[in-house]
Amino acid sequence: MEIRPILSALLRSKTGAILVALQVAISLAILANAIHIVNQRQAVAARPSGIADESTMVYVELRHLRKSDHNAQVAEQKAETAALRAVPGVTSVAFTNQMPMTNNGSNTSVSADRKQLQSSAVASYYFSPDSLVKTLGLRIVEGRDFRPDEFIEIDNDKDDDAASAPHAILVTRALAQKVWPNASSYVGKTLYYGTGADAQGGPVVGVLDTLQSQSAEVGERGGYASIVPMRLTNGYGTIYAIRTEPGQVERVMKEAETALLRTSADPLIVRVKKISDTRKERYRADIGLSWMLVTVSALLLVITASGIVGISSLWVTQRRKQIGVRRALGARRVDILRYFLTENFMITSVGVASGVLLAVALNQLLVSKLEMARLPLDYLLIGAGVFWLLGALAVYGPAWRAASISPATATRST
Amino acid sequence: MLRMTNLSKVYRTHMIETHALRGFEIQVNKGEFVTVTGPSGSGKTSFLNIAGLLEEFTDGDYILDGVNVKGMDDNARSRLRNEKLGFIFQGFNLIPDLSLFDNVDVPLRYRGFNAKERKERIEDALAKVGLASRMKHYPAELSGGQQQRVAIARALAGSPKLLLADEPTGNLDTQMARGVMELLEEINAQGTTILMVTHDPELATRSQRNVHIIDGQVSDLVRKGPSLVDTRSHSA
Amino acid sequence: MFSYYFKLGVRSLRRNPALTALMVLTLAVGVAASVSTLTILHIMSSNPIPQKSERLFAPVIDNGPLEGYNPADPDNRNSSNEQMSYIDTMNLLKNGYGERRTALYGIGAPIEPPRKDMGVISAQGIATTRDFFAMFDVPFLYGQAWSEAEDKAGADVAVLSSAMAEKLFGAANPVGQRVRIAQQDYQIVGVLNNYRPRPKFFRLVGGPGAFGQEEEVMLPLSTAIRHETPHNGSMSCSSNREAGWQGLLRSECTWLQFFFETKSASERGQLQSWLNNYADDQRKLGRLKRNAPNRLYDVMEWLEYRKVVGNDSRLAAWLAFGFLALCLVNTIGLLLAKFSVRASEVGIRRALGASRAEIFQQFLTETAVVGLAGGLLGLLLAFGALAIIGMQSKEMQVVAHMDLPMLALTFVLALLAAVLAGLIPTWRACKITPAIQLKSQ
Repeated sequence: MEIRPILSALLRSKTGAILVALQVAISLAILANAIHIVNQRQAVAARPSGIADESTMVYVELRHLRKSDHNAQVAEQKAETAALRAVPGVTSVAFTNQMPMTNNGSNTSVSADRKQLQSSAVASYYFSPDSLVKTLGLRIVEGRDFRPDEFIEIDNDKDDDAASAPHAILVTRALAQKVWPNASSYVGKTLYYGTGADAQGGPVVGVLDTLQSQSAEVGERGGYASIVPMRLTNGYGTIYAIRTEPGQVERVMKEAETALLRTSADPLIVRVKKISDTRKERYRADIGLSWMLVTVSALLLVITASGIVGISSLWVTQRRKQIGVRRALGARRVDILRYFLTENFMITSVGVASGVLLAVALNQLLVSKLEMARLPLDYLLIGAGVFWLLGALAVYGPAWRAASISPATATRST
Repeated sequence: MLRMTNLSKVYRTHMIETHALRGFEIQVNKGEFVTVTGPSGSGKTSFLNIAGLLEEFTDGDYILDGVNVKGMDDNARSRLRNEKLGFIFQGFNLIPDLSLFDNVDVPLRYRGFNAKERKERIEDALAKVGLASRMKHYPAELSGGQQQRVAIARALAGSPKLLLADEPTGNLDTQMARGVMELLEEINAQGTTILMVTHDPELATRSQRNVHIIDGQVSDLVRKGPSLVDTRSHSA
Repeated sequence: MFSYYFKLGVRSLRRNPALTALMVLTLAVGVAASVSTLTILHIMSSNPIPQKSERLFAPVIDNGPLEGYNPADPDNRNSSNEQMSYIDTMNLLKNGYGERRTALYGIGAPIEPPRKDMGVISAQGIATTRDFFAMFDVPFLYGQAWSEAEDKAGADVAVLSSAMAEKLFGAANPVGQRVRIAQQDYQIVGVLNNYRPRPKFFRLVGGPGAFGQEEEVMLPLSTAIRHETPHNGSMSCSSNREAGWQGLLRSECTWLQFFFETKSASERGQLQSWLNNYADDQRKLGRLKRNAPNRLYDVMEWLEYRKVVGNDSRLAAWLAFGFLALCLVNTIGLLLAKFSVRASEVGIRRALGASRAEIFQQFLTETAVVGLAGGLLGLLLAFGALAIIGMQSKEMQVVAHMDLPMLALTFVLALLAAVLAGLIPTWRACKITPAIQLKSQ
């Protein structure tokens, strides 16, 4: 193909070509990074919480206005649990202190050995007097769930740390690997909460596949969690996790609220929520950003395409005579078409090459200044392909118009 | 070489119908140098366009070098133009962003010659018009006369059978014009048929044969005596 | 001459409406994207209390245990160690440096409204000292802050937000009435007049967010402590603590936010020295174990440190400006196309006596007209974009608000962009030689 003459002609009148190449470069740089971020955020928002079938999981945040004593609180908890279990459509109930993705709850540092100077990790701290594994549908990959004799009852206002040492602990696999990096099996190991001489520990009886922390942080930390079999009074956070039968969620939510209000003569604050709504709330910012980036990306493509159409149309108009002459000299329509496509391909290629460099530079800036992730090669390759295709499609219209110029144009006097 | 029989060309716009050529008849034999004259609006440009396969005609027959071009599609006409014809325009019509070498190269690319063959032909053609030394220069660096000579080189590079010239000296001063005409006559002497449209009556008289078009029809078919070239070759 | 050029510009734009529309639209979209993201950034990084932000300070004292202390470790930045323990809070309130001091912690305030048909309202608020209101220039609609005596005694008094007051008592002035919070009656002494600093700088750690809703209830700190009102925020305990409320007060858990006010910004150094001395004293007493630096942050530094302006907002602004750059380059191309077909006009004007400078002015004015149109459309689009972004959440609604400086910026940006884009094409147009062009190659 006539590459050299096309190149030579382009070099003589560079402005239009530079403008197109520049647009392609800028668009590619932004697009590659934007789509990468979108995919990253989507991936983050899709991470499993550990809860099986989130569509049938609801939870109740409860608050008593009147503070009763330890025994009364235990009785309240049991009565509330029973009332909830009695609601038709409820398959399982568990009292707990926090739920994943709510941004409400507690963390505690854990270690493999009391004598450690620094703790091994910071883990999310769940506890329940019931089986969280059963209600949340958590998957056990090693060991077992708690046994009935392993549960303890603690008064947060009176009992000291020694009395509240757990008799058994469930940990997530991620946490286990962090605390005991050289082990392959974790059942039987002792996990300590904190470090130092008075740190309390307990034996690991089971390992969970996944349970996100209450903040569901991005990165490893979001997967560090432990569960302790315990009934606690005078603590923070009263939550009932409820597993419902499919299709009955709305009704169960209403009836659960009514059932709970009926269990107490004193005023109660009852809030029933769906975990699926909680998930949406937790990732709302990420989804919002994703939409914004997708919109910008679409606009980038449209504007770049329009830019290519604009400059190409201008060239067709400017080269009218020249095209007629080429046709007179024997060029067929398809030859004229090919000329423009080739020229466009060359310009786009320069744009793509600089765009790739620009994309990497932009990504470097994002990584260093905004704590974003590094851009994988795939995005650059796909981006290049997208813009080559876009260029060809955009130039097709003007190129077709050029090809339709009659050879008689050569002999006209203007 | 070229024969048109009962040719007509009608331009139709919304409301107006213009008959550029009607009942046009002409025959040009191989090796002839024919000038075509006529007042403005007479249809000589239309004739040239049709002869050069740049436009289609409405009715009649046109046989070019033994090939009947009636109803040929665009691709076939382009191919025929490329292989058999050469064009020289009043305004030179060189491509400003290409060097002289690349300008002469343009029709050869569409022919499908390989790089070696093209290079040979371009160098030969530019040598023939005396501009081989300036191959890498650009049209803007040349005088009008030189530009026209490059255009002639471009027309010749593909070894055409018929050369079509549209007022080739119209934009040149007398001296340059003379140079171009001498060049054309030389080319004709070497066997290329030339069909030239011109305003200049002096050039018309100079030519071997003149065709005069008025109102879309051939008005005179004047066969002159032997041309200057003939005289020279037959000089006693 | 300018109005002549202006008229010419408008007329020329009308001659090719498709091309004009494309140019204006491209410019408008680029401007809108940049302005809306910039607006959000601008509001997120605005100074909530400019009149005294440089003399309000949040202190951070590290009261963690020696075990696990690594001075060089970046993770030592435990987010809750940025609050204060009860012991330090009380010490600093009583004997601290500066014009005024205050401390606060978040509380949940379940309110039983006077009308029995309304259920329990789960209100959010803070427990703080009297000086809070003076320090942060809090405006009152009715009444005023509680008295010093009430502050000291831990009286059962409360200040409500205007929204909460209206919810409970309608439009009437509720000062003097009683409200039942957490099963305890409080007397209302004041109603706030829409106190919504943007960002909400005084409750960044463990609060409802920098742009969350306003505080609905405010109780005296001593009262909340007396009633053992649990905290509704973030608490960090790095060493073991005894059980019960008193155990909490005696512990090194951090859960209170503290602020100093100095008379002038230049007293910062003295405050720092005072703080260092206090920490040294506590170390001598054996309370503070670590030898960590004691830090002070004024309001803007505190917002920066707590990363109120998230990375995502910065990202959006950067990409929006990259997008504007694209629109600019695109517009250059369109203008080139537009001006190139006017070569004959330019040639004739020059032949008729127009100087290069005059041609330059004419065409630059034309691009300015495009810029103005683009700015107008861009403004509309920016409003739309901000509205859509605001729909995302209540916090975003607070932040996605166009203000006057941003509005002016829109036009300036559009005009600047258009003129910049127009420079090359206009310069090209000037170079056209004077001639009445009949033929062109």
